[in-house]
Amino acid sequence: MIDLLGLTVSQASGLSQLIIDIAMYFGAFVIVAMALNFQYGNAGVPNMGCAVQVIAGGFTVSAITTRVTFMIVKAAGLPLMPYASDYDWVYNNPHNVAVVTNPFIETHTMLGISLLLFSLALALVLGSAIGYIISLPAIRLRSTYLMITLITMADASQIFGRNIPAICGGTLGVFVPNVFAWYLGNRGIILAVVTLLIGIIAFFIFRTMLNSPYGRLMRAIRENDGTVESVGKNVVGIRRNILMFASGITALTGVMWAFYASYVVDNLFMRADWTYWPWLMLILGGPGNNAGTFLGCALIIALRRIILISKWSLEQYLFFPIAYVENILLGVLLIAVIIFRPRGLIPEKLLYIPGINYRKMVTGEAQVDLGDSAMPKAETEGGEPE
Amino acid sequence: MALFPPLWVNAITYSSMITILSIGFTLTYLTAKIPNFAHGTYAGVGIYVVWTLSKIYGFSPYLGFPLAFVIGGIVSLILYVTVIRVISRLGGGAVVLTISTLAIQILLTAILSIYVYWARGIFGTYGMGFMLKEFDFKIGTYPGIFPMSFLICFVVVILLHILLTRTKTGIAMRATAEDPELASVLGINIDMIQKLSWFLTGGLACLAGAMYPLWFQSYPKSGGMIMTSIMAGSLLGGFDNIYGAIVGGFGVGFSEIVLTAWLQQQLGPWVGRWRPIIPMAILVAVLLFEPRGLTGLYERIKASTIGERALAMLGKEEE
Repeated sequence: MIDLLGLTVSQASGLSQLIIDIAMYFGAFVIVAMALNFQYGNAGVPNMGCAVQVIAGGFTVSAITTRVTFMIVKAAGLPLMPYASDYDWVYNNPHNVAVVTNPFIETHTMLGISLLLFSLALALVLGSAIGYIISLPAIRLRSTYLMITLITMADASQIFGRNIPAICGGTLGVFVPNVFAWYLGNRGIILAVVTLLIGIIAFFIFRTMLNSPYGRLMRAIRENDGTVESVGKNVVGIRRNILMFASGITALTGVMWAFYASYVVDNLFMRADWTYWPWLMLILGGPGNNAGTFLGCALIIALRRIILISKWSLEQYLFFPIAYVENILLGVLLIAVIIFRPRGLIPEKLLYIPGINYRKMVTGEAQVDLGDSAMPKAETEGGEPE
Repeated sequence: MALFPPLWVNAITYSSMITILSIGFTLTYLTAKIPNFAHGTYAGVGIYVVWTLSKIYGFSPYLGFPLAFVIGGIVSLILYVTVIRVISRLGGGAVVLTISTLAIQILLTAILSIYVYWARGIFGTYGMGFMLKEFDFKIGTYPGIFPMSFLICFVVVILLHILLTRTKTGIAMRATAEDPELASVLGINIDMIQKLSWFLTGGLACLAGAMYPLWFQSYPKSGGMIMTSIMAGSLLGGFDNIYGAIVGGFGVGFSEIVLTAWLQQQLGPWVGRWRPIIPMAILVAVLLFEPRGLTGLYERIKASTIGERALAMLGKEEE
């Protein structure tokens, strides 16, 4: 097969590595973009702080999972170097992770799997907690204030990570245990598969929620929160719940990304990467439907990867790093999409609610229950108020 | 010498820049009703205007200030006409407009970086991380930027005050900010007013950016990095009040420099790393306790009985 395609072995392995990379990027970003679609596309919560939610997941892995792993490894009686003080935590970390912990997980499959599940569960909880905390200052106020607060929080979380060595080793960063050490093949494959699996599960959860009465309530809030409030719904509470739930899901991305990089440092979760790109994907694909989110995500990832692959061939003609071309392209792309396709590539469709006969509604044969028919006939038959 | 210790020189210079930027940010919010996240990056344009003039052509950076004002105004105007106006005419909401300013921020930063690389190739001048302190003049022992920045800030505030209260254009601007539809009914050319205010905000931001390399290490990203302080200053002042932004900008600038220095004396040098947290903490505290900032606080005090008495004691009668 390889000979048929005319590829050498190294080229083929490079190609498969590229496919794994794209799959991983797609899996990670599609979760963030779907959660953003859930928040902004369906409930109208303009979450500009996706980065802080992703960071919550990443820091969960570096600060808690790594420590728990070390405790377990120490309890198993392996010679672990001290990791209690900040200094030991950072400088003994490579030895502790690569020499002691990873070979241990290699022979203990269940430990690796349970550590993964533990991190995911913890990230879900901590992400929701972070969602609650970041919603505190501005969820009651205008959406402008919420945007400003959340975009600030993303920077703040990076500063916390950089200045508290106990979280992720300050500016040096820490290695995290390879929970897939028991998998003998390419670590990237199983990581991408698990991430995509999480994405699929998240997709079904979001879809179920959007098709439920709660989802319709969310859309009602997006369209007109005053009306929803007037019928006795707690709009602020619902907004906060949405933000918390989506934060929890977004934090899962942070966990998978930390395991993929097998290293956590605050710059791994830049605001530009984890807030701007998901927004770009969402706006490009069309907010309000998941198909658009998938399409936008796939297009942006493909574009970025193509630029990255052609880096070496292009950069000899340029006098500056190609990252700037990428930034200009993505910036112009977003503005162009907003101007020329304001509703995205796949516009939002009406929600299908099971159990309602839409044809009947459209043709006007549906019976509208007027209660005791207290309303005068002229008003029900009269034209539109406008 | 004892008149202005170095700490105060630092604080006043920094606060003046932040104040000018906060005023511009508030002005944008008043007229366009969106937080312009690219506002800090306009300052980056100013930074590289003076860099070009001083480092490449050898002029005094102060000559670059008016030029920076004009160039920044033009950049802002172009962005308004090509992006913001188009999107808002298409009916894009506040969120979409804000996202587009985020795109503008990324775009402008990339263009600035490319310009720096290009200039290095052509003129052989390195522009990533530079300062212009050697181009500054000295008044006694003080660097020239210290009185100049304060003076420029003062003049900008006075001129803006005159513009907004004494001229027809300024009154039209305020009317547009209050209610665009009603203003257009009265015959105010809203589009012209919007263009003017975007020109002003861009120009002011660029002017502040032009002062930046005389005091701080500058990169193409520098403008974006002080965005949090700008937003905190604007929010502290009340977000819809230009006079509030003046107090807010000085409050945030002073607390960033003076509070950090004081805490460093009390607790140790490690506090310095936490300096960027201060504007964020101010921002969150303002939103938690008084979302309308100092303006809201002032109005609340004025409405209370104690406030009334205090105002009467100060000689200010109730109108």
